[in-house]
Amino acid sequence: MKGFELIKKAMRLQEVERIPWVPFVGSHAGELLGLTATEYLQSTDKIVEGVNKAIELYNPDGIPVAFDLQIEAEALGCQLAWAKDNPPAVISHPLTEGIAIDDLKVPCACKGRISMVLEATRRLREQHPDLALYGLITGPFTLALHLLGTDIFMQMMMEPDKVHKLMRFTTNVAKMMASKYIESGADIIAVVDPMTSQIDPLSFETFVTPCVTEIFDMVREAEALSSFFVCGNAKQNIEVMCQTKPDNISIDENIPLDYVRDVALRHNVSFGGNIKLTVVLLMGDEEASRRDALECMDIGGKKGFILAPGCDLAMATPKENLMAVAELVHDELLQGELRASEANVGNIELMDLSNHWDNNRVVIDIITLDSSSCAPCQYMVNAVSRAADDFGDKVVYQEHRIKEVEGVRMMATLGVQNLPTIVIDGNIDFVSQIPPIQDIKDRIAACLAAKQQ
Amino acid sequence: MEELFSKLADCIEFGKIDEVSPYPPNFKGQTGADEITAQVLAKGASAQDVLNNALIPGMEKVGVKFREGTIFVPQVLMSAKAMKTAMVHLKPLLKQGNVKQKGTFVIGTVEGDLHDIGKNLVAMMVEGNGYEVIDMGTDVSVDAFVQQIEKTPDCVVGLSALLTTTMVNMEKIVKNVKEKFPHQKVCIGGAPVNNEFCDKIGADNYSADPQGVVDFLNTLAS
Ligand code: B12
Repeated sequence: MKGFELIKKAMRLQEVERIPWVPFVGSHAGELLGLTATEYLQSTDKIVEGVNKAIELYNPDGIPVAFDLQIEAEALGCQLAWAKDNPPAVISHPLTEGIAIDDLKVPCACKGRISMVLEATRRLREQHPDLALYGLITGPFTLALHLLGTDIFMQMMMEPDKVHKLMRFTTNVAKMMASKYIESGADIIAVVDPMTSQIDPLSFETFVTPCVTEIFDMVREAEALSSFFVCGNAKQNIEVMCQTKPDNISIDENIPLDYVRDVALRHNVSFGGNIKLTVVLLMGDEEASRRDALECMDIGGKKGFILAPGCDLAMATPKENLMAVAELVHDELLQGELRASEANVGNIELMDLSNHWDNNRVVIDIITLDSSSCAPCQYMVNAVSRAADDFGDKVVYQEHRIKEVEGVRMMATLGVQNLPTIVIDGNIDFVSQIPPIQDIKDRIAACLAAKQQ
Repeated sequence: MEELFSKLADCIEFGKIDEVSPYPPNFKGQTGADEITAQVLAKGASAQDVLNNALIPGMEKVGVKFREGTIFVPQVLMSAKAMKTAMVHLKPLLKQGNVKQKGTFVIGTVEGDLHDIGKNLVAMMVEGNGYEVIDMGTDVSVDAFVQQIEKTPDCVVGLSALLTTTMVNMEKIVKNVKEKFPHQKVCIGGAPVNNEFCDKIGADNYSADPQGVVDFLNTLAS
């Protein structure tokens, strides 16, 4: 199972066979095409091409159509400063420049870049019927900040009614965007509201909760799924976010994943995150990216978890790092190897094997992930079993599963680095590939001959 | 007087600006920073006393609570506003020259970066702790910093950057400033910045929050 089906399963909190993976590719896709953010985020064709490129390289289960939280603001008259290497920034706030809230109208979906992302959604939908397409909309509080600027923080305290009125308006905009995205073929509506990371839970409940709850209700009614993205340290608000009843919440590295997991699952909400965007994905290498992703996967688990970077990927993120994560996600063996080598690094206590070896018998150790769930492991154990048959009690063999601590210790003690591996009398003889049974028999015979001399 | 000072400190801590301000709800109808400051001055307190015995202790509590995550940006801004209101009364008296500020702090968000919420909080907290603050705003170039340092040579410089793409500009500013003014202290902050980066670019101090800069400035000043 893959794509939207897999994500749906995770969002419904059913056990999955593989953890779904959603790289939050935004302007980064522009980089993949050798374009600036300005060129990329203003062209339907480029967005479709860029997302396709990302799909090809990163083999995801789901992907955002576009990651730009300025689209609605722009359509509402905020001025943007465009940049080469970042999404654009809002630099003017109409409500502080003489425009009254009553003058603002929910923009037509035909306006500005709204129509562009909707068209991109339609085309991507057609090209990728099974992939989960995320339609990202600017969260109502962040859009309110775009319209009013940072005055909003004090206004919340001094003139709460005005802020409620503004939030009513931005919620209407968000609902329009959500319904248009769904109409165009998006499977999941992600409400991205990073500004909420800056407020306390009480303010969140007062100003944000009613609005986003309404948006998530609407998405549910339209039979789509929803996700709530925050970027930044919103630890204080995870609880209240879950209470707004999204299908999923997604967080970045500022919040510990185990904390989010526990809170989210307690509220029957699935959760996603939080591969480190900057220190690992942007500045680290493939090895670091794999390790961080694995750590997330091990904390997240197979129930209700979606692996993703914390927020919009930095544009210059090396594609090799994301490809390394993609490979890991789809390769359970690689996960096992990495986990075991991790344990190595963590100074695991080696075993004393002096009683393990036998002067009269050949001892075979098979290091596996777990032969019941990993097909190559199973074939390898079978091959050894059949090869050993001919030798009766002259051969003893044993499987060591690295899902267990003992297995990890054995792997480290024998110096094994890949899975699965056959070790005969302490020699690493067959790595990864399942050898012909005759080859195993030949090795056993040679070892026996050596003992009899 | 003690009692008024402690009431004023509470107004700063909880962001009670003046009597009509509806915030915080549990201070409803009570006098705020505005009235109480006028009152203590009328009773003969010196500006320095008001600063040291009420405003700074109040603001210190705000710094600690923000660092610990029990209050957030809106609350800090309310406290800062209460502080500013009180300062309106004090500034003319402080300017009369009999009071020494602890030092001068020049702060700005680096070139290419428009984020200013964090920088503003730092500026307010530093000011609230008895320093003169020159806020250069956002998107500030190397040249602008250099010109400002020429005007206020004893200042400590603070740089803020929120984008990984503008961290390089921070590096550029530090290098340039240090080249021209080797003894100038430069401290840095902002979400993507850390101690390692601070060492790498040769800045003097990194702090994760405003309280950290205040501590750093206080050690320099003492
Ligand atoms: C608010 C915000 C905005 C607002 C800014 C409004 C304003 N007037 O400042 C708007 C919407 C305009 C905006 C625009 C952009 N943003 Co922005 N924004 C944020 C957000 C949500 C919060 C930042 C913030 O204010 N935090 C609160 C303050 C209190 O914290 P702080 O700034 O870290 O400051 C504290 C400390 O760092 C320290 N400190 C700060 N400065 C200094 C200085 C010194 C000397 C010291 C000692 C300490 C210190 O003290 C402060 C108080 O504790 C973050 C995500 C997040 N949730 O963190 C993204 C974020 C910073 N933005 C981001 C991006 C990419 C952008 C844009 C490029 C595109 C966009 N719109 O998304 C533009 C860029 C504009 C530009 N050229 O600068 C990214 C940066 C990614 C990266 N690492 O490069 C972030 C992390 C979001 C994300 N993950 O995508 N943004």
